[in-house]
Amino acid sequence: MNKTLALIKREIKTKVFTKGFLIGTVLGPIFMIGIMFGPAFFMSLTETKPVNLLIVDKTDDLAAHLPSAFNDTLTNGQPRFVLTIIDSLTYAAQRPRFLQQLERKQLKAVVVIPADAMRGGTLIYMGKSISDMEFIQTIRDRINQVLNRQKLLHAGINPELIERLSTRLTIKTIKIEKGEAREKQLGQEWVTAFVFLMILYMTSLLYGNATMRGVLEEKTSRIVEVLLSSTSAFQLMMGKVFGVGMVGLIQYLIWVGMALGVFAFAAASHPHLLQYISISPVVLLYFIIFFLLGYFQISTLFAAVGAMSSSQEDAQSLSTPITILVVIPFIISFTVVRDPATPWSQILSFVPFFTPMLMFLRVTLMMPPWYEIWGAIGINLAAIFAGTWVSAKIYRVGILMYGKRPTLPEMIRWLRYK
Amino acid sequence: MALLKVDRISKFYDHYRAVDQVSFHIEPGRMFGLLGPNGAGKTTTMRMIMNIIIPDEGRIEIFGSQFREEHKNRIGYLPEERGLYPKMKVIDHLQFLGEMKGLTAHRARQGALKWLERFELESWAHKKVQELSKGMQQKVQFIGTILHDPDLIIMDEPFAGLDPINTKLLKDILLELKQSGKTIILSTHLMDQAEKLCEEICLINQGAVVLQGSLAEIKQRYSHNAVQLEYNGDARFIASLPMVERVNDYGNYMEIRLHDQAAPRDLFRAIARSGLEVTRFEAMETSLNDIFIEMVGGGNGDE
Repeated sequence: MNKTLALIKREIKTKVFTKGFLIGTVLGPIFMIGIMFGPAFFMSLTETKPVNLLIVDKTDDLAAHLPSAFNDTLTNGQPRFVLTIIDSLTYAAQRPRFLQQLERKQLKAVVVIPADAMRGGTLIYMGKSISDMEFIQTIRDRINQVLNRQKLLHAGINPELIERLSTRLTIKTIKIEKGEAREKQLGQEWVTAFVFLMILYMTSLLYGNATMRGVLEEKTSRIVEVLLSSTSAFQLMMGKVFGVGMVGLIQYLIWVGMALGVFAFAAASHPHLLQYISISPVVLLYFIIFFLLGYFQISTLFAAVGAMSSSQEDAQSLSTPITILVVIPFIISFTVVRDPATPWSQILSFVPFFTPMLMFLRVTLMMPPWYEIWGAIGINLAAIFAGTWVSAKIYRVGILMYGKRPTLPEMIRWLRYK
Repeated sequence: MALLKVDRISKFYDHYRAVDQVSFHIEPGRMFGLLGPNGAGKTTTMRMIMNIIIPDEGRIEIFGSQFREEHKNRIGYLPEERGLYPKMKVIDHLQFLGEMKGLTAHRARQGALKWLERFELESWAHKKVQELSKGMQQKVQFIGTILHDPDLIIMDEPFAGLDPINTKLLKDILLELKQSGKTIILSTHLMDQAEKLCEEICLINQGAVVLQGSLAEIKQRYSHNAVQLEYNGDARFIASLPMVERVNDYGNYMEIRLHDQAAPRDLFRAIARSGLEVTRFEAMETSLNDIFIEMVGGGNGDE
């Protein structure tokens, strides 16, 4: 036991107190935040400026009603659309000028409503870019909305009635938890689940690979036999797994500290952000449990791969199947987010390697009964013991074998070695 | 009572016998040579003694009982394939190795400093291992093996890659350790080293013991009529003399094995008659190297 501690101590001493660790720990989250929020950030950047639209109304009937359909505002209070509505004559006279404005991006788009719009017909959308389908759809929907009102009006329906019939819906989502209705915005659940999922995924791969590299380093530097003269192969492997795990944990504690700092700062300046981060302590507890399950499942296998390999290239190709064991649950979890109640996502959440991510998702999104959660944890613990046993056997033999990469039948024979 | 008893151990890899029914025992305080050509099974045998690999057959008794993990704290093992963490500082590394043998951090550090001084490496204590020369790294490795004051020291090819000065230093320290009552197992394929250091040997070839016992006894048993000759000129005729069994000719130095019934003086007369210029003529006992070559077959022993 003391020797495992000595191994862990060495791991921390040589890994944590390095420039690489510091840089990785500080730049890592910046990079991750960049990936997660970068696209949204850039999207919000493009939205903060009002859009200039030129609408040509060939029906001569809609001009008065269009502005009310385009009256939404941006987050900074400015109107989202700045409309210029002209008739077909003006358009015909000044068409080259408008096209030039499009060219110079003074106008985002020119939309032509045809004279026969009331009876169908085709809207024409002209723009420098026509790839923003979402924006084009919005324009079409808004104009349709105005058209429909006009059609109803022309059909002789009371304007007051139209007003009552065509109120637009806003959406508000409500989640049922323990029989209580709790109002939450859709984004909030998703953000929590996604952040945790991302952490599970990244660490399994990051620290799993670190374990593998560590084992391989000890093998290729030939220090492993010196260590084996002091401790058993099993202790050596577990020392590496725990040691790298502890380094990871230290990194996490630093990150949690950073996050709390940033959060405190953000909460002080933008109180409305608070609603996105409401994590119940129960979810946090389960996160830690599933994090540990996931790490131990993966890292003992990575340790065995490190022991089997004689070079980085070997290790890279031998570890691919294990990487896949992490990637697949991660991909599947995106469909589980959409509907955590389907039978197959329930079944998969009991399968080792899938449990840490999928069961954790179910816990955050719909909290399954306790016996399901602990049943899955039990199954996974059994799998960890079995996996560690196999890994230790392979590690023991592999760590002293140099040269050619072992084949699968060879590995199976290793399991039988005394 | 034997400190180490190896009783008919074997190890198979698939259908290949790496070690085959090897037995020997070592009394406390002895210097024991485990000899054999490359690939004879020396390393596998030592790994089995260290419980790094488990024998398929046979048993090993050490310190009067079956192997237990805590026995590792009483053994210092220098494997043939040795290495250090290149990025660790020498003193930190030695402390770690000491802790892995059950020493406290403090005692390991104190001991390491003492030994570094002895090996004239104290100014390198706070340098990274990778900044040291190969020879210095060897010395650090050696300190790591004996730092915890083990009762049994096992060294696999300890002199490989050492210059003459460091070879002498290592040899002196090994003799000191032996005088202080430690038991030492040396594995080597260099027979002159074994001959000078070991009291007992076990020679293995292709996994099996071919010869074992005390060195003096073995040399007596295998003593032949042998002569060392230093000369100038053409001495090829000696090989065809009737009393000569075989020769090992180095150009101006020759080892000559005589037939059992012949005496060195017969050879001396024959050479004198030939008029060859002789600078030294010495009747001698057989060297361990000769025995090795005879037992294992020529050409296998040198590298």
